[in-house]
Amino acid sequence: MAVVGAGIVGMSAAHFLSRAGWQVTVYDAGVVASGATGSADGAVSVASKKPGPLMTLAVAAVKFYEQLVATGILVDEYLPRSTFVVASDHEELAVLERHAGELEAAGVPIRMLKGAALMAVIGAAAPTAIAAAEVQREGHAVGYRVVERLRQLGGFAIRRNCRVSGFESSNGCITGVMTEQGTEPADAVLLATGIGSMHFLAESGLIRPRKGQLIVTDRAGADSPHFPGPLMSCRYLVSKGSQPADSAVASRSLGLVIDPLRTGQFLIGGSREDRDDRETADADVVATLLRDAVALSPSLAQLRIIRVFSGLRAATRDGMPIVGHVGGAENLWIATGFEGDGICLGPMIGRLCQQMICGESPEQDISALDAARFGLTLAAAA
Amino acid sequence: MSSPEVLVIGGGPAGVSAALELARAGIDVTLCEQGPRLGGAIHRQPDDPTQSVRVPRSHKQRWQAMSDELAASTVKVLCRHMFAGIEATGAVLLEDRIHGRLVTRRPAALVLAMGAIERVAPVPGWHLPGVVTVGGLQVMMKSTGRAPDGDVLIAGSGPLLVALAAQMASLGNAPVAVLERSTRLMSVSVIASLLRAPAYLWEAAGYLLTLARSGILPRRGAFVTAIAPRDGRLSVTTLDRHGRERQMLVDRVALHDGLLPNSNGTMAGQHGPFIVRAGDCREVLGGTAALADGRLAAHAVLAQIGKAVRATKVPAAILARERQAQAALNTLFDYSGRDPAQLPDETIICRCEGRTLGQLRSMLSGDDPVSAREIKLNGRFGMGACQGRFCAEWVASFVASQRADGSPPQASEIVGSRWPVKPVPIAAFVTLPPSHPSE
Repeated sequence: MAVVGAGIVGMSAAHFLSRAGWQVTVYDAGVVASGATGSADGAVSVASKKPGPLMTLAVAAVKFYEQLVATGILVDEYLPRSTFVVASDHEELAVLERHAGELEAAGVPIRMLKGAALMAVIGAAAPTAIAAAEVQREGHAVGYRVVERLRQLGGFAIRRNCRVSGFESSNGCITGVMTEQGTEPADAVLLATGIGSMHFLAESGLIRPRKGQLIVTDRAGADSPHFPGPLMSCRYLVSKGSQPADSAVASRSLGLVIDPLRTGQFLIGGSREDRDDRETADADVVATLLRDAVALSPSLAQLRIIRVFSGLRAATRDGMPIVGHVGGAENLWIATGFEGDGICLGPMIGRLCQQMICGESPEQDISALDAARFGLTLAAAA
Repeated sequence: MSSPEVLVIGGGPAGVSAALELARAGIDVTLCEQGPRLGGAIHRQPDDPTQSVRVPRSHKQRWQAMSDELAASTVKVLCRHMFAGIEATGAVLLEDRIHGRLVTRRPAALVLAMGAIERVAPVPGWHLPGVVTVGGLQVMMKSTGRAPDGDVLIAGSGPLLVALAAQMASLGNAPVAVLERSTRLMSVSVIASLLRAPAYLWEAAGYLLTLARSGILPRRGAFVTAIAPRDGRLSVTTLDRHGRERQMLVDRVALHDGLLPNSNGTMAGQHGPFIVRAGDCREVLGGTAALADGRLAAHAVLAQIGKAVRATKVPAAILARERQAQAALNTLFDYSGRDPAQLPDETIICRCEGRTLGQLRSMLSGDDPVSAREIKLNGRFGMGACQGRFCAEWVASFVASQRADGSPPQASEIVGSRWPVKPVPIAAFVTLPPSHPSE
């Protein structure tokens, strides 16, 4: 079994496939977690999901993280906690109430906080906050740490800095993986290399990079106000496209999440920009995010920023991930296009890929993610 | 059309020299210094002008001449302005510490003259309060005009050890000992090289004379093996050249293992200004060379923006002479630090995040060749406030010593290369005026 891509999806699939008896090799053009997995915010969150199949899968994915902790696989790597979606004006409150209703309908426990209860629970919220929805039973996992745990558990080989350039096929079946270091035999292939997955497919323009910029602060002092969990600006739901905005979607949107990390630092993010220059961060985006963050939680103004980084999400045309069988070869599968949801969904998708590849019926309904909706086929050159 | 602006970062000799040379050519120059006064580490001016540390007369005269010319020049000086980096669109970010705000500039060229980075090799306990760097202590002394209180031990390697010790002795608190790791002695060929730049010899002789009068002579071949807290003080274990171990109880330990150029934090971007480095920031050659290098940096900027450059070979000749003198001087010292194989597991490598050598060893224990990025992310080496500026070299060299496969990580894979160059207060950042209407 060849898995292309050592991000959270590929590494999770490798973990479960190796335990199902496959001899697995993971190939990556870079190193482990060098793409979106290594620059994600780590939200294992249902709070911001679009109502429908994605929200349902996110609920299942949170339960899957809990299972992985219970079975010892991700002990200490998953922190259960609530997310607080904050509304600062009446327009945002209307969006918040609509979204909270949809989350409840999907089975997510919600507590609406207003007035004194709001200030008591979220000490760090600004006086301008008028309401918050506590989205319970979700959590946080650092993408690269999840992947590192899976690597340490082992059972499969990793080829770093080993770009897969194409496949060798015979009679509609892939028989080998071509790399710079030669061709290696393969009985099945899973493409889990984000935007890079498109290189192997006949379609183009299906997945676009969406840049995100994130800010890391230094550690807050012991006397700083209480953050019971991440604070999410209600505007984030609009920027993410989870709830429709009244105005047209811009090429750049900013949604705000203030995430208290276990180290005492904060992660503040992030932007969604249709561009692919991940090596840079611009002061304008960072200043706007920080202004919004301070408006949501004034005590942040006492901290310093120590790092700004960016990553690229793989965004599909319809905003839904692509998971399933690829046409043109009997033994080729794909799992990509998770945009900002890879850390949340990744481990469960790895498990579902293993079930799909082993010919079992996946324990979750992923028909909405099926690659067949785009009629994906293997590129002739690949 | 107004003439292009050039920004010079760093108010030491290299920065001031570059700014003056640019101003002489009629360029609009702004000189930014993060501290309250110009001078850099070498010409650090006291907070109270009546409380000054004794420095060689040649230093004093040199700085006076530069200060006078600067005062008469068109150079605009911004003190308490910290260079925070160059952002994606090419704007230079400055933290204005007077007004607590962030400002942007779009100069045609940027001269980086931020001085050297002081190197300290890890030893157990080097992260403890009371352990400082020799350069840091010297700068503090120049600012306050007073020697640090209590018993001070100076250790490591380099000419700075003796300089600090002598300055402390002149201010009435000589260190309890100076441990110089190197056992190498002055040779005829070194003296011959240094005679071409005799200021070093005079300076060294002056310092050694002062120390001899206080009864302190550097113990060559001796070094610190561990520092531990004891009764509110520091218990220091040392080894001498004969392998004899000794314990000392002191209030402060000043460590130093040489200087490195400061290449961190700034990549020349697609949209950014033309960048040139000057002085110790580019190559550690000391104050005299920094003056010449500042002029060379200015010439590079002038050439880039299409201004005529006065032909002179003088700065290049000075640089060549100082390079030779520094090379000769460096043969007398030993900047290798302690062999990591000799260091115990509990030795902290990354002081910001408290990560130890043992944790690094365990990351490298398997057969899987983990990459520098994985060591950084999962080991958290280089993830703290300094972004690897002080530990990346040690992490990279330790990993290299464990790898036989010829793929050692580079320090550049661990050290942060993005802005901010140093932590920036959020309170300052939020003042940046939006360049686009808010969404």
